[in-house]
Amino acid sequence: MFKGFYTVATGMIAQQRRTELLTNNLSNVNTPGFKTDQSTIRSFPDMLLSEIGGARIPTQEGLNLHYARPIGTLNTGVYMQETIPNHEQGQVFETNMPTDIALMDTTMPVNQQTGQAGTILFRLQNAGAGQGETYTRNGNFTLDGHGYLVNPQGLYVLSEQGQRIQLQSDDFQISQDGFVYENNQQISRIGISYSANPDLLIKQGDGLFRTNNNQALPSAYTQNGVAFTMQQSYLERSNVDSGRAMTDLMTAYRAFEANQKILQAYDRSMEKAVNEIGKV
Amino acid sequence: MIRTMITATNTMGQLQEHLATIGNNLANVSTHGYKARESRFNELLYQQFNNDKLDRAQRQTPVGIRYGVGARIAQTQTKEKQGSLQSTGRDLDVSFTKERQYFNILMPQGDNGATRTVYSRQGNFYISPLENGSGMLVNADGYPVANAAGQSILVPNVDQVKDFTIDNNGQFRVNYANGNELAGANFALGVTEFKKPQFLEHVSGTYFGLPANMAQLGYAENEILTPLNGANRGQIGLQNRALEMSNVDMSKEMTDMIETQRSYQFNARAVTMGDQMLGLINGIR
Repeated sequence: MFKGFYTVATGMIAQQRRTELLTNNLSNVNTPGFKTDQSTIRSFPDMLLSEIGGARIPTQEGLNLHYARPIGTLNTGVYMQETIPNHEQGQVFETNMPTDIALMDTTMPVNQQTGQAGTILFRLQNAGAGQGETYTRNGNFTLDGHGYLVNPQGLYVLSEQGQRIQLQSDDFQISQDGFVYENNQQISRIGISYSANPDLLIKQGDGLFRTNNNQALPSAYTQNGVAFTMQQSYLERSNVDSGRAMTDLMTAYRAFEANQKILQAYDRSMEKAVNEIGKV
Repeated sequence: MIRTMITATNTMGQLQEHLATIGNNLANVSTHGYKARESRFNELLYQQFNNDKLDRAQRQTPVGIRYGVGARIAQTQTKEKQGSLQSTGRDLDVSFTKERQYFNILMPQGDNGATRTVYSRQGNFYISPLENGSGMLVNADGYPVANAAGQSILVPNVDQVKDFTIDNNGQFRVNYANGNELAGANFALGVTEFKKPQFLEHVSGTYFGLPANMAQLGYAENEILTPLNGANRGQIGLQNRALEMSNVDMSKEMTDMIETQRSYQFNARAVTMGDQMLGLINGIR
């Protein structure tokens, strides 16, 4: 059987996955705080091919000598190995809503191992008691009936001390360093967490991130070298570049098509093998 | 089925809703007292695929690949920003000069004369003549305007009235041709300040109301709004002979509309591509 037959099939599946991922990026062009997903495609682990042969040594007994000569390595396909969110800062825009907050990175330390900068996120309380924390970059919040600052799904926004933030009305101010003031009194401070290696964060849907081991992230206020500001009545745009996403989508589509053409070529080869080689 | 198409169609439906909100704002660009509404998107669910069980290669991210299935509208909020004032010179026109303050309007409910208190910032009022020669202060829809006690405001002997004034703290005064003046507590316009404007239900037009299931949800009325009565009446900010214009920013809405239409096109294009990919699969043989 032709090995390449299955190789191109895996190529088609990998490219299909890429288009699915890119479509999700395109869909979230208008989602505040959305982080573009990037993908890596990796080939299957290599196989070592060997030539198995034998030689007959003309002795009286008739001695057979077997050998296996290595030819080289070959892999039998590709798959989508990773989806990596790009935590780059998005643009900010004004909304005139007091419950909207944009996070703006000033300087983030670069991780020595990965060469990537860390990221800061809002702290939210997970639904259900004792479920820990979840993180988001989407600062589109609102007040619930009791005056707690919540996200659109009703998850409580936590303060620096890990408490919920309760306000009397939506007439409040947030300073650039995160302090919340109501009637000229300091109420609380918006909780911001720092992730030194954002690649380890897992996307959960609804714009939420969780840590790999469900451990809480440390506060960003006390981290060395982490500088950021907050802007009330502003939101961070999605960092999807729609032009690039569309270009990538077309590239993935054409790669899919190329794989399909090779598959057809294999099919025709097989057709010949079946119908013409055996013709009498 | 290719997930591309599901992702894109999910999002297209929500973009259409977004466009509807923008369209409603644009339609109300000249409605007095209208507050613009704004919807914001959020991601949909993420699904994890563990597709590399046997590969022990180094990786940056936790095991598996995750991708989402599109976007949806997370919430639609009312923008409480003050609209600009338009001077009309009409006695019964009144405009708020402070944000989050609303007139109390008695909206009829059902046929048995029951009313529901709704809140509006639209301040073009009228006197509706009654059978006995008196008149009632009503808004543009003919609904009675409530006083601070929640009752409708009745003006006796309307045909002898010289003019009306409404002062900056919501005191309604009727001046008769013979020099008499009618004012007092019964003529103080009922004004409510919203503490949590996003909690209120958008009833229709410029009207907002408390949701009917508020008690079930475990919320009390005083958490949501404060009636400005007694000493608090000093906080009311009103301007007579003027109307508050809609706070819709037309150029912003047009920009949003173009942006939304383009997003819609992008997603529609993704559906086409998904379709062509299915075509390629079918065309293998």
